[in-house]
Amino acid sequence: MTRPGRRWRRFLSALRFGVRGVRAAPLVFVASVGTMSAGLVLLAAYLLLMLNMHAVLEHFGRDLRVVAFLEAGAEPAAPELASLREWLEADAAVAEVVYVAPAEALERLRADLGREAGVLDSLERNPLPGSFEVRLQPGSRTPEHLRVIAARLQREPAIHEVRYGEDWVEGYARVLRAVDGVGLGLGALLLIVLCAIVSGTIRLAVHAREHEIQIQRLVGADGWFVRLPFCLEGSLQGAAAAGLALTVLWGLFKVGVPLVRAPLALVLGPRDPVFFGVGEVGLLLALGVALGLVGALLSMVRLEESS
Amino acid sequence: MIQMYHVDKQYPGGAYGVSDVSMTLDRGEFAFLTGPSGAGKTTLLRLLFGAEHPTSGQILVAGRNVSRLSSGSVASLRCEIGVIFQDFKLLGNRSVFENVAIGLEIAGATRREARVRVWSMLKRLGLGHRMDDLPRSLSGGEQQRVAIARALVHDPLILLADEPTGNLDPDLALDIMDIIADAHARGTTVLVATHDPGLLDRYRHRRLVLEKGCLLADTYPDTQPGRVRWAASTLR
Repeated sequence: MTRPGRRWRRFLSALRFGVRGVRAAPLVFVASVGTMSAGLVLLAAYLLLMLNMHAVLEHFGRDLRVVAFLEAGAEPAAPELASLREWLEADAAVAEVVYVAPAEALERLRADLGREAGVLDSLERNPLPGSFEVRLQPGSRTPEHLRVIAARLQREPAIHEVRYGEDWVEGYARVLRAVDGVGLGLGALLLIVLCAIVSGTIRLAVHAREHEIQIQRLVGADGWFVRLPFCLEGSLQGAAAAGLALTVLWGLFKVGVPLVRAPLALVLGPRDPVFFGVGEVGLLLALGVALGLVGALLSMVRLEESS
Repeated sequence: MIQMYHVDKQYPGGAYGVSDVSMTLDRGEFAFLTGPSGAGKTTLLRLLFGAEHPTSGQILVAGRNVSRLSSGSVASLRCEIGVIFQDFKLLGNRSVFENVAIGLEIAGATRREARVRVWSMLKRLGLGHRMDDLPRSLSGGEQQRVAIARALVHDPLILLADEPTGNLDPDLALDIMDIIADAHARGTTVLVATHDPGLLDRYRHRRLVLEKGCLLADTYPDTQPGRVRWAASTLR
């Protein structure tokens, strides 16, 4: 028997012990999955709220732009405009550059004024300057980045004035930071609680199989052979709990969202809330597996200490 | 195969499990470890398979210093030792087959190899028809035979047996001892802890006599009178 072959078979044997352990005490497994999934429902619900709030903020963020006004009454020639546009578009932070000619600016103002638009008829000439509206890539919508881009534009002689709604941008960034900060704090807290739950439930399983572990050790099992079945069990529990939590949350989402659409609109605006995509579901399942594994390893450390 | 040099095992509180025990057991030898209850027989066996660590002294088993082995090395040593426990230590929720195969699985035997070995071992011990039964449905003698099968199925270098006939009636006890003698005949070094004088009379092997943790005598049976090693009385 070669050593790698023997190691592989020992690994498979340890996994079989894990499966047998689950089969031998299915109620402990089900109880653990139930407890864990309750915690995961909370975590996933919070993540879902965060996801939707981020989508709302991202939606608002799309309207963020830097406006570079040219000299009023001095519309540059087409080649000069093209070269300016090219220069702006060369910046990696820039997503889109739109030139608004003076005439178009006047039309927009007219549309904005609505019934008051008649006041513009008295103007002898169009006083509005042409401008470039610069929209930024999602990752660059920070006050710092906007400030740098505005300063760069300001240095260009053809550009007379640069505006980017500093107050709004600062507020947007503050909300985003707060949402992320609270999310991180609460998420970390929930993860710790979940780890403790898994660790506790695996410890119950360890306790229930103390006799078996003792016999395994007496007939030659080393530490990892004893640990591996519980790690497998923890991972299975985590995956099953995450699957159950997602199913429950999806059910609640489908049934509950229509009932609370009005109060939800206060938080999320007019957008319809969305559920997790395939990628996010995969990540949550992986999170469940990782939680189960960490919880099992934590309880195994205690087992090692106690043996 | 087994060497102990001035081994002490002192428990918290000061009580001695074994005290200044020195002895050797050669490859293929059969010896009884005897003495009254509480003499330290179980402690000595536990020291040999690494379930206890000596307070002082050195223990060499199959060329390895047990007192200095890491937990991983203790595990690999146990794969080469068969141990029969006084209380059988069977898994109540696993079949007879699974109970016997556990050591082979841990050692990394193929499933086919495990099946063949377990089957032939159970057949040899007259348990071929009980492979799928749970231990609780077996009699005391059958449970003991399952424990023996588990200890012998991987052809251990050393067999340590702690009161293997403890709670069995005399006929069953002789059956069990015959199985152990058979393993010895196939080359296994055997150390059997017992305080059953009937067994000692019937199987005339070397005797290590323990009392209050001390090795009082190390004698060969009187069929080999010239080979008495020493006894405590000879030292006084």
